[in-house]
Amino acid sequence: MISNERQQRFDDLVRRYPEKRSALIPILHEVQAEVGYLSPEAIEWVAAYLGLSPADVMSVASFYDMLNLEPVGKHMIYVCQNLSCALLGAERLIRHLESTLGIRMGETTPDGLISLKRMECLASCGTAPAIQIDGTFYEKMTPKKLDDLLERLRDGRLKEAKK
Amino acid sequence: MPTVKIDGVEVTVPANTNILEAAKRLGIEVPHYCYHPGLSVVGQCRMCQVEVEKMPKLAIACNTPVADGMVVATRSAKVEKARRAVLEFYLLNHPLDCPICDKGGECPLQDYTLKYGPGESRSVEEKVQRVKHKVLGPHIVFDAERCILCTRCVRFCQEIPKTGELGVFSRGDRSEINLFPRKVLDNAYSGNVIDLCPVGALTSQEYRFRSRPWDLVRHTDSVCPLCSNGCNVVLDVRHRQRGEELLRIRPRENAEVNQWWMCDEGRFTFTYLSDPARLRVPAWREGDRPAERGYDDLLLRLARSIRRVLETHGAEAVGCIASSRLTNEELFLIRRFFREILGTPHLDFRVRPVQFQASDASEDGFLRRTDKTANSRGARDLGVLPGPGGLDVAGMLAAASAGRLKALFVFEEDLVQGFPDQPVRESLGRLDLLVASSMFPTETTALAHVVLPALGFAEKEGSFTNFQGRIQRIHRALTPHVASRSLPEVLRDVAVDLGRDVGGIDPEQVWAAIGDAPGPYRGTAWKDVGPEGLLPEQSREPRAESRDA
Amino acid sequence: MAFEKILTRYQDIPNYTGTMDAYIARGGYQALPQALRELQPADLIEVVKRSGLRGRGGAGFPCGVKWGFIPKDSAKAKYLVCNCDESEPGTFKDRMLIEEDPHQLIEGIVISSFAIGCHLAFIYCRGEFVDGARVLERALQEAYGRDFLGKNILGSGFDLDVYVHRGAGAYICGEETGLLESLEGKRGQPRMKPPFPAISGLYRSPTVVNNVETLCNIPHIVRRGAEWYASIGPPKSSGSRLFSVSGHVERPGNYELPMSITLRELIFEHAGGMANGRRLKAVIPGGSSAPVLTEQHLDVAMDFESLAAAGSMGGSGGVIVMDDTVCMVRVGEIVSRFYHHESCGQCTQCREGTAWLHKVLRRIEHGQGRKEDLDLLLDMCDNMKGKTICVLSDAAAMPIESYLKYFREEFELHVRERACPFEGKGAF
Repeated sequence: MISNERQQRFDDLVRRYPEKRSALIPILHEVQAEVGYLSPEAIEWVAAYLGLSPADVMSVASFYDMLNLEPVGKHMIYVCQNLSCALLGAERLIRHLESTLGIRMGETTPDGLISLKRMECLASCGTAPAIQIDGTFYEKMTPKKLDDLLERLRDGRLKEAKK
Repeated sequence: MPTVKIDGVEVTVPANTNILEAAKRLGIEVPHYCYHPGLSVVGQCRMCQVEVEKMPKLAIACNTPVADGMVVATRSAKVEKARRAVLEFYLLNHPLDCPICDKGGECPLQDYTLKYGPGESRSVEEKVQRVKHKVLGPHIVFDAERCILCTRCVRFCQEIPKTGELGVFSRGDRSEINLFPRKVLDNAYSGNVIDLCPVGALTSQEYRFRSRPWDLVRHTDSVCPLCSNGCNVVLDVRHRQRGEELLRIRPRENAEVNQWWMCDEGRFTFTYLSDPARLRVPAWREGDRPAERGYDDLLLRLARSIRRVLETHGAEAVGCIASSRLTNEELFLIRRFFREILGTPHLDFRVRPVQFQASDASEDGFLRRTDKTANSRGARDLGVLPGPGGLDVAGMLAAASAGRLKALFVFEEDLVQGFPDQPVRESLGRLDLLVASSMFPTETTALAHVVLPALGFAEKEGSFTNFQGRIQRIHRALTPHVASRSLPEVLRDVAVDLGRDVGGIDPEQVWAAIGDAPGPYRGTAWKDVGPEGLLPEQSREPRAESRDA
Repeated sequence: MAFEKILTRYQDIPNYTGTMDAYIARGGYQALPQALRELQPADLIEVVKRSGLRGRGGAGFPCGVKWGFIPKDSAKAKYLVCNCDESEPGTFKDRMLIEEDPHQLIEGIVISSFAIGCHLAFIYCRGEFVDGARVLERALQEAYGRDFLGKNILGSGFDLDVYVHRGAGAYICGEETGLLESLEGKRGQPRMKPPFPAISGLYRSPTVVNNVETLCNIPHIVRRGAEWYASIGPPKSSGSRLFSVSGHVERPGNYELPMSITLRELIFEHAGGMANGRRLKAVIPGGSSAPVLTEQHLDVAMDFESLAAAGSMGGSGGVIVMDDTVCMVRVGEIVSRFYHHESCGQCTQCREGTAWLHKVLRRIEHGQGRKEDLDLLLDMCDNMKGKTICVLSDAAAMPIESYLKYFREEFELHVRERACPFEGKGAF
């Protein structure tokens, strides 16, 4: 279920660490990227690869916010809901996102394109309110900027939006 | 060895003893959940906080080693406030399940709350709801709402059978213990999590809703009879008014034998004791049909038959196969009866290949062993073996076939099952007298002229010797059926009918005789066999074939 | 008089790219050869001790002292872990440092590793810093290429490998032992202490965990001396600090200043004062775990001791400024929601307490508070402090205690009126 090329990378990754279990979370990131999310099969694969029990791997994976144990959309939008962003209008952004996309935070659009997730402080407080789309920061957000980003996202032109 | 003062009382303990264990020696309870001496220490529940002089914050007793001169308070105001708070935090989301929870009445959450906890709830928030009565495996039911996340069960599965089926998933107050999807909690030791769980989150399917702890009036120390490890157990018996019945078996702590654990087979295999199919009354086969008879009459007839065989064919025509399921006391009396009183050299217990070795092997590297009987070692140590010129089991069967063996006594073995590729039925069919004892009807009892009901391990006083050579006591937890007599009683009565005396049949009297006789138990006294068993010096090495005494 | 910047001097260079060449051009990678050639590891530790450098992650522990705890005679491998898990709300300085001038950090890591005898170091980078991790990886590659990493660094005989290790989203992995657990491939659940990481850390071996900013100071201390560093700012809080200022100020951002600066100066002289001409109502001076301060505290100096004396803490240096449109109960709800989400769940008081705190505050904010809730909150907080494996429980409790201390009437108003007076019109 994992490409040979990626498995090669895992072998290299494991070699960095005195104890191979350390490679678990970096590997989970990669497996999630390849499979789309950490399905039970993906977890079993990783468990077998590192010689751990599936329950052990799932216990670790389920601890972390960025690891998805359920299917998610093609694009992931994180919105910081913590204090500085909230002071500068994060909830307004969230309401706008929810009404525009027709889903609540934590859900995925029916076409499977976008998932929304409330996150805690993303270390972007000076440029609040901040979001991330697929790992890229977009800061000093407004509903209008959001609309622009969503449009580019749908058109596949998101990379150019980063200024 | 450091000396610590706890609540004003001093105690000296080995180095690296934690405060909790030191307090236990003084009989001081330090309430705790996540700590267990057999598992790794995690310090998560925060229940065992105590006040240590010179430490600014409360310390957790489970992870604080005692230092010489340390002064500890377990009931200070600070400690009591902290304990009450921890319990309050636990109870925030704990369901009001006590009326339907198996743990009620023997629950450390109830007990500590009563002793140390708040009397009322200050929370008006909705309790978190989780999955209830989820079957995790063949023996275990899980209730996630009751779980206090002490993680004993998770650590157990990781550290003891090392199967790691359970994990804590998610984080914070969303944490939940669970199985990996589509997996089952079915390792051979899964039942131990029931004992470990401090609340009713992990309960036994077999025991579910069957009883309340206050109805279990007898907690009898015994030893599991299902293999040569001899795990120490406690038998929990319900009182007569609701029907005397063994409802539950739990492990008993023994550092040398089973630590705190036992396997599922031993834990859950006991319902056979109350199986209505059990043989209860002796029977004498007339023609094709067994007829039930009273003991006195039947044993008199038996004695007559024995005398006839002895007079006609001699002692060499009599043989005895005695099971290693029998107690030391039963085996000793059997040997005395057959080797000394009847004078036959044909006596053996070795029905299974594993019994021909000095010691059986471990089955799983942990507690389960390959010899599935409790007392092969005792049988060997007591010389339940052929005398000079005597036949072993195979020899006896061959002699029966050849017509040289006329009478055979088989105590609690089914030879047909034991030797599936031999013509056992034919061999046994040639006997003039086949006497078989058993708990249940078997192929052997079907062929026997005399069938004697046997008692189960929970219905006897006596001892087994485990594979280590450790003599361990079993105690009577259940009243034997009124129509059944014990094996020692039967042997005594037949001996009397033969005009002979088999000696005292109480365990203490039997051991007086054992202690006098040569062999590895020489000098052993019954009183020396305490709750943790006795490993006689001479018994420490696995023994080769015992020299005939 | 503008303060002479140390860590952020690169900002004065137009179009600074942060590449190896750019860093060397601005004077970088001179401290490293100097340290390797002129100083013994023990000397280096003394230099850092004398400089008075305190940890910049949140605890403020003296860096040289921490290094000194590493046993010299242990046969075990020693590790240095750079804590780049910046997750304390209100803090965004480490992100800037790694994205804009990664080699300053790398040079600091190499020197520090040399000082403690470490040959394998990790940069634990929070998972959300996708770009940051990439920048670091590139910079590490450059460093390997120029002999600043790997075998026999600059011919000194000192070997060091450094790897970026990404987290996956958990604030508690910023706690040093939570970080180590995560680095070992487990749930980021903090460990009981003792043993401390200096004795038993990563893989049960002696380990130093240092914050990004802390390590960035090391090359400068080596270059310019401990006395120079110690002379900056107040004696017990020497050197510069990166204050992350956010909230209702005109110019939010990172400001590198000595800790003799006052809160007033920081907000009104450097960060441009209150946005939209509004009045200051409350300010959190050291990340959301720090108790709140009010306008009566504006003349407190921003060093560790002064802030502690004022009832708060230096913490992570994250300064969150709130004007008079802010509902403090809502602040409590947001802050408690954070700790509720981030509790690892091990300890009973934290797992259940952070959730309970949040639920009660949410209820009060939504007009369903009861009179007894306020004292209940305070008792909850008391029961949550000082009794757990790590201090997340304390970090959740202390802010709430402070909001009740300075803004109790506001809470009482919510209860009495059964509504939030800022509903529909406040900052949120």
